[in-house]
Amino acid sequence: MTALLTTSVGSFPKPEYLTRARTKAAKGELSSDALRDLEQKATSEWIRFQEEIGIDILVDGEQYRGDMATYFAENLGGTEISGLVRSYGNRYYKKPIVVGELRRRGPISVDWFSFAQSQTDRPVKGMITGPYTMMDWSFDEYYGSRTDACLAFAKLLHEEAVALEAAGAKYVQVDEPALSTRFDELPLLVKAVGIVTKGLRARTVLHTCYGNYNEIFDYFNKLPVDQLDLEMSNSGLDLLERFKREPLKKEIAFGVVDVHSHVIEPEALIRERIEKALTIFQPDKLFIDPDCGLKTRSVDEARDKLRNMVAATHAVRQAHGLT
Amino acid sequence: MVKTTVVGSYPRIGDAFEEQALRRGLARLDRGEITEADLRAVERDTVKTVLKEQNEAGIDLVTDGQISWYDSQSHIAGKLASIEINGLVRYFDTNTYYRQPVVRGAVSRKGPLIVDEWKFAQGSSKALVKAVLTGPVTLASLSLDKHYGNKKALAGDLSSAIGEEVGDLVKAGASHIQIDEPILTQRPADLSLVSESLDRIRGHKAKATLTLFTFFGDVARIYQDLQDVPADILGLDLVQGAATWPVLAKHGSSKPLVLGVIDARNTKEEDPVAVATKVSQLKSAVDLKTSYLSPSNGLEFLPRDRARRKLRILHEAARVVGVAA
Repeated sequence: MTALLTTSVGSFPKPEYLTRARTKAAKGELSSDALRDLEQKATSEWIRFQEEIGIDILVDGEQYRGDMATYFAENLGGTEISGLVRSYGNRYYKKPIVVGELRRRGPISVDWFSFAQSQTDRPVKGMITGPYTMMDWSFDEYYGSRTDACLAFAKLLHEEAVALEAAGAKYVQVDEPALSTRFDELPLLVKAVGIVTKGLRARTVLHTCYGNYNEIFDYFNKLPVDQLDLEMSNSGLDLLERFKREPLKKEIAFGVVDVHSHVIEPEALIRERIEKALTIFQPDKLFIDPDCGLKTRSVDEARDKLRNMVAATHAVRQAHGLT
Repeated sequence: MVKTTVVGSYPRIGDAFEEQALRRGLARLDRGEITEADLRAVERDTVKTVLKEQNEAGIDLVTDGQISWYDSQSHIAGKLASIEINGLVRYFDTNTYYRQPVVRGAVSRKGPLIVDEWKFAQGSSKALVKAVLTGPVTLASLSLDKHYGNKKALAGDLSSAIGEEVGDLVKAGASHIQIDEPILTQRPADLSLVSESLDRIRGHKAKATLTLFTFFGDVARIYQDLQDVPADILGLDLVQGAATWPVLAKHGSSKPLVLGVIDARNTKEEDPVAVATKVSQLKSAVDLKTSYLSPSNGLEFLPRDRARRKLRILHEAARVVGVAA
């Protein structure tokens, strides 16, 4: 039985040479080809690192992305990118603006998936920013209806999901961090994600984070994916009791390290978290990963967190006689 | 015939290099390259720019853009006794976050909250500057209460603190005070708490005009009861809260209104004539002469260039309402 497979949510921090290169490229001082070479270099480094420490299901690390919604919007027809808008503190981002009918001009993330997959024999996840999040994080000057805009994104992202599968993706993950924004729109989210994942043979995953899970709990089993990827350690593992009473009928990727803390969780603490998860979930349905993308950590912090996560998982596997 | 105002916040930075002094200043403060006093100077320069942009757009009643506020909750709560500021929490249904206040003991006001900010802004503005405060019931609802164990008691003490602040603002010369209670669009049942809270605050306002503003949704179900709250003016989000329109049109308003008709959460530009036409339909239900047009909520959810355009649309819509009358 394959048990306690390890994976990641998606993003990893960019090495300093890539951050500098992106700044130069934004000023027009570096060609897009030269930038892509460095993005590929950083991607290869992360793939090698994941293999070295023994992660089972890899991610490409999103070294080519700025913001997750803007990256997808930039590669679709019918969009523009806005000026800077504040997120919190001194953090700003550019939002997509939907200015016309959304069109998929071609593959968005497929080339990067193929590049990453060509570097390893282990499975690499295909990663899609979900239709509800794309809609919620965009200004809409065209559709005039959140439902219409969301479903338009969903149709295009389904094409992308099919293309990822055709390129060899065994896992397709749909990221929906905006999932818990408006509880009354959860049926819309379920419908839109269902459009994206319809007919896929690849294992489908939905990632969300930092929401009021108690409010959305009833929807967990309705989400049209095989696996839920949830941030668990930042919220103090308080969902476990509820999962005990109301079992999840899907696989779960269980976040065991906090991505917003500089503290490197010791292996023993992560082992405890995995042991707690094992009291609720079957080992073959339980995947181990960080709470969310690690891009806001330093490269060293991200590596140390992942190392401890894998070591803790291996120790638990051994203690339980799992392979 | 109808005046214009804004709700509160304004984009702190724009896309041009010279519009990003505040962002650079905060980064330099983090790196220890400048002092807190240096940063205050950058903030004040930014406030001047924000006032100038509102003045140039012809807005009648302006704000300081809440430029020095980290967010709508912690800026006020963080200065009160017995409140600590904790981690980030999503702010209503926006993709922005506030640092959550944690109430550890009896809440009281230790000193002025925004009086100095208001004085500076009024000294730098041609137009009257409105003093805007987050309402006690919204503060109580978005905080983590580890002391009182009931929202009414917490909101009561917060109301006393906000009331004292209003008293000092009025002494400093403020003639327009606005209390923001967006929580009413999410939890209409909190209306009685808001009413009690405004009753306490009202005692400190002297001759100043007190506005209650609700945004991020409609207040259709409580609209008629809202008419009875002890405030002089009611501010309404009529974009995300479009469901309030029909009730408003049917029942009218005994109080002057701030009609939040310009979408402050979407870049799409309104046709000022269409906005004016819609507003003019209210002329027998609402006293437009004493009312205002405004964006639907604070403008900080838009990029700076789009916020500027929205102000111009707002001014033009008000002008057309006046011409039509």
